[in-house]
Amino acid sequence: MPIGYYFALSAMMFCIGLAGVLVRRNAIVLFMCVELMLNAVNLTLAGGSRLWGGADGQVFVFFVIVVAAAEVVVGLALIVNIFFRRGTLDVDAPRLLKG
Amino acid sequence: MDLLAQAASGGNSNTAEVILFVVFAVIALGAGIAMVTMRNIVHSALMLVINFLAIAGLYLGLQSAFLSIVQVIVYAGAIMVLFLFVIMLLGVDRDDLLVESNKRHLAGAVLGAGLLAAALLFGFVGTYTSAESRCGDQAPADVLRSEDTQPCVGLDEANAASDSGSVGVVADRLFTRYTFPFEVAAVLLTVATIGAMLLGRRHDRAADPAFEPSADVPDDIDVEVAMAALESQRRAAAGAPLVTDDPDVVAADRARILDDETADPSADPSAEEDGEDA
Repeated sequence: MPIGYYFALSAMMFCIGLAGVLVRRNAIVLFMCVELMLNAVNLTLAGGSRLWGGADGQVFVFFVIVVAAAEVVVGLALIVNIFFRRGTLDVDAPRLLKG
Repeated sequence: MDLLAQAASGGNSNTAEVILFVVFAVIALGAGIAMVTMRNIVHSALMLVINFLAIAGLYLGLQSAFLSIVQVIVYAGAIMVLFLFVIMLLGVDRDDLLVESNKRHLAGAVLGAGLLAAALLFGFVGTYTSAESRCGDQAPADVLRSEDTQPCVGLDEANAASDSGSVGVVADRLFTRYTFPFEVAAVLLTVATIGAMLLGRRHDRAADPAFEPSADVPDDIDVEVAMAALESQRRAAAGAPLVTDDPDVVAADRARILDDETADPSADPSAEEDGEDA
């Protein structure tokens, strides 16, 4: 089957994640939507790896997974800190830097 | 399972791959939409797990068995457990912010994402949906070779050439051409771990000067009485009324404040007031 169907699925998943990032205000759900977008991109990379017959796409996916793991660890630690300080997970609530 | 193995091995199993793709694509899309729209965050996270597992299945269809396994272990296992752990730790199951969002913003966001999806589908994906970029089955030899289509090479040969399939293919690349990025990834993980430890450290409350016990409390005083007195002094300094009506505590507090010349003057009125109440 044409590899484009994988790309189409990946594009749709990316846009679902993007809509989630734009719509949701809860910091944890925001993070999960970012994970969804990262996975959509991973699917594209793996599809490209098969399309061109090289392993580079798969190696890229591997690195993206590593970076996503690091990002989640630090991001969730930040979210826990913010929740203990402010008592809310609303990403629209902190307005300290607003002019 | 046979279907999965057949699709993962590639070859002539076009039907197997199509079935695999349709099933997992529907699951992935449905779980993704459910994750974005659900109000309960725990359910949302579980939907994301289902989505990750479906993507792991799609990796099998793409002849990337190594990625499929890593996806299950790292994403569906480790990362989602971390998410669920934080959700349970903070006790924020329900997302009440969802109903408060501005309807106009919501419509704009959905419209924008839909437009981007359409642009991607028509601008980028269209090139790869021709019969020529078919993978997995023998591409018909008489397919017209045009400039704007991409022929599919596939991973059959590469996987067959390696003695351990997809894992060997990835490992060959990872430890030859991408050795330095691999080392950098290790450093990144270490830095992330240290950063999470620093961020997750509890700050000691005594370091805050507002909670520092004053130095003018005598040493030979009963500890419980002293703690109660300190508490009442702190409350009085904050302008809050005393809540205790234990006569012992009030008397000890009063005696200490009358004894002590260096007591905080703002603590006196409320203490006397409370003494009258008692």
